[in-house]
Amino acid sequence: MNAQRIFAIIHKEWREIVRDPLSLTMAFVMPVALVLLVGFGMTFDVQNVPLAVLDRDGSALSRDYAHRFIDSRYFDFNGYLADQREISPLLSAGKLRAVIIIPEQFERTLRAAQPATVQVLLDGAFPDRARIVKGYISAITGAASRDSIAEYLSRTQGVTTTELRPLLQPITLETRYLYNQGLKSDWSVPPKLLMFILFFAPAFMTSLRVVREKELGTIFNIYTSPVTRVEFLVGKLAPYVAIAMVNLLILWGIVLEVFDVPFRGSVPLFFGSGLLYVIATTCIGMLVSVFVRTQVAAMVISLFITFVPALQYSGLEIPVASMGTEAQVIAHLMPAMHFTRIIDGSFLKGVGLAVLWPDLALLAFYATALFGGCFLLFHKRVRQ
Amino acid sequence: MNGGPTFVGLQRWLQRLRVMTAKELLQLSRDTPLMVFFVFAFSFNVVMGGGRSGFELKNAVMHVLDHDKSNASRELIGRFKPPYYILHGVEGRPEEAMRMLDRGDVMVTMDIPSGFEKSLLRGEPAAVHMQVDTTNSSLGLLAASYAQQIIGEYGSEAALAGLGMDRQALEHLPLIREEQRAWFNPNQNNAWFFSISELMMMTTLLTILLSSAAMAREKERGTIEQLLVSPLTPMQIMLPKVLAMTLVVLIGSMVSVFGVLGPVFHLPIKGSLPLFFALTALYGFTSSGLGLFIATVTRNLSQAGLLGIFLFVPIILFSGIHTPHEGMPRWLHIIVLFNPLAHYIDATYSILLRGAGLDLIWDSVLAMALLGGTLFGFGVRRFRRQFE
Repeated sequence: MNAQRIFAIIHKEWREIVRDPLSLTMAFVMPVALVLLVGFGMTFDVQNVPLAVLDRDGSALSRDYAHRFIDSRYFDFNGYLADQREISPLLSAGKLRAVIIIPEQFERTLRAAQPATVQVLLDGAFPDRARIVKGYISAITGAASRDSIAEYLSRTQGVTTTELRPLLQPITLETRYLYNQGLKSDWSVPPKLLMFILFFAPAFMTSLRVVREKELGTIFNIYTSPVTRVEFLVGKLAPYVAIAMVNLLILWGIVLEVFDVPFRGSVPLFFGSGLLYVIATTCIGMLVSVFVRTQVAAMVISLFITFVPALQYSGLEIPVASMGTEAQVIAHLMPAMHFTRIIDGSFLKGVGLAVLWPDLALLAFYATALFGGCFLLFHKRVRQ
Repeated sequence: MNGGPTFVGLQRWLQRLRVMTAKELLQLSRDTPLMVFFVFAFSFNVVMGGGRSGFELKNAVMHVLDHDKSNASRELIGRFKPPYYILHGVEGRPEEAMRMLDRGDVMVTMDIPSGFEKSLLRGEPAAVHMQVDTTNSSLGLLAASYAQQIIGEYGSEAALAGLGMDRQALEHLPLIREEQRAWFNPNQNNAWFFSISELMMMTTLLTILLSSAAMAREKERGTIEQLLVSPLTPMQIMLPKVLAMTLVVLIGSMVSVFGVLGPVFHLPIKGSLPLFFALTALYGFTSSGLGLFIATVTRNLSQAGLLGIFLFVPIILFSGIHTPHEGMPRWLHIIVLFNPLAHYIDATYSILLRGAGLDLIWDSVLAMALLGGTLFGFGVRRFRRQFE
């Protein structure tokens, strides 16, 4: 390896970057804009679910029951329905996600100390959300049911409901929320966006670099020059790794200052693993670049192989442990999941190398293996 | 002018459109890696997408420190079961449990005090402690609230049993029960949802990036100059790019619907397929319109690509696939109105799963047409201004 030649390549590459100021500006503005937009906008909480009630009883008790839904912050009450026939078009158009049907004689049945059954219709088109909504509704109905029993027992046995409640609810659950006591989604999403954005953005930018020279024909200058494959690759990658590291620093600052997320771990560990991570992601872009023949293909393929895994197989949405077997395999094949664990560990959990060393080691492995892959795939000879 | 020349003019206009569309398609088809990717994106990728897990509490790993080791504590632990919870173990000291949480091996730890069963039998209150990892706040909240529900149910059953009430007696209590039915996907099959959403993501990725690239490439290479000195109008240069992309995603969607959604996932298509394909064509037009607009405000492929991603990411994230619309902050609702994918998704699920017709989805169709028309119109205007 000849340092001078590497610097020559870096210099040339840097010139090209600087001479396209719009691209360079976007390389810094885009991650910042995305972390702000997505960080403030993205929440997985299912709330304000549009709901309507068909109250066939119209009694005091049925209205009490309906009000438990109307007053809940999880539901957005869209009014009482007058007729069963209104339900189908509203659910089909996606205007409602849930409908509660309170049967006739609801009050009379309960007053007669008989169980009453309400009907719940859910829009099942979004299965995971339907299951969460189902859980909300069951919880509200369960509470209503317990209150109804307490009220009945206090009437028949002559005890007050305040005395009865603890008897009917003998177990209390005391929950401690660890690492994020306020359950803020502003704390939970933005740190992981560092992993997300620094997966696809560096890969995308790098993916154009070699194939662009192939398309324009300038690659032949490289083929005929004394520069070796390693020197060429290092020189090409270094500016993009540098850009990604500056981005990591800026985004880290935004997460700390704008989103007010605590950083409880080790700064050197975080940036050390961040460096390995962006080396891995720029190398993914480089792999695509040496593999394809057109910039268009490079754009589409690099975005696909980084964006989808960063979103779905990284632990951004759900922890890897909750995924299906195949998804877990895919997750383990990607560096994203390990950087997510380092991010969680460094920001909210405040754990160090003692816990995170396997993830750090795997990131080092990915960085090396992906660079090796680029080396093996890049040739200084035209292959037909 | 009489009818004759106009007719000839129209014929020539259409012929140019056809030739240019064929040129675009030919150019795409000669890019072998890209063609391989097309086939993969609409086939295997949709199969893989269908196997994804959604955002819900699933397999939350729980470790229990059971200090009571009684029938009651075992019964309670037994109620934390899959698909929501997975039991990691019931032994250990509190420090070990804490380390498991730190390492991320478990998401929840629960502490059942000794004397738990005795308290229950005596009708005295008992407290169970729980620690939840809330680095993912939404899931942490779900894990805690499901636990609350399980423990509440178990508690009142134990209490009623303590009062001497068995199942028979429950029939003579004013309980409120539920009969729940999920329409459109009664077995709550995740694959129906995710396979369709994967297909729509691919359509979006390809139309936005490829149409902007097709245009930016002509600028970068200078071939645009050749087109400009030809008798083609800007409309005849831009429209074929939109048509070619629309055609590609339309074919891709057909492959997915007939090759994957039906045979692999047994998706029952409730609504009209022609309507769905017409909608896909409209969406193809709208999002290629966005792609062309990107290309007209940038100078080269790198700029077009970066701007493309910058728009692509929020379009996907705020489409309703990954995060629920209802939970979003107010200001975002306004932005989402301009997200073509959000409208396409609403309409698609309504047609395919809910069996809706045009009468129920016309608002989404109108929104997509307006967005697409505006973007395409802007694109053509800017293009004219730049080169004429």
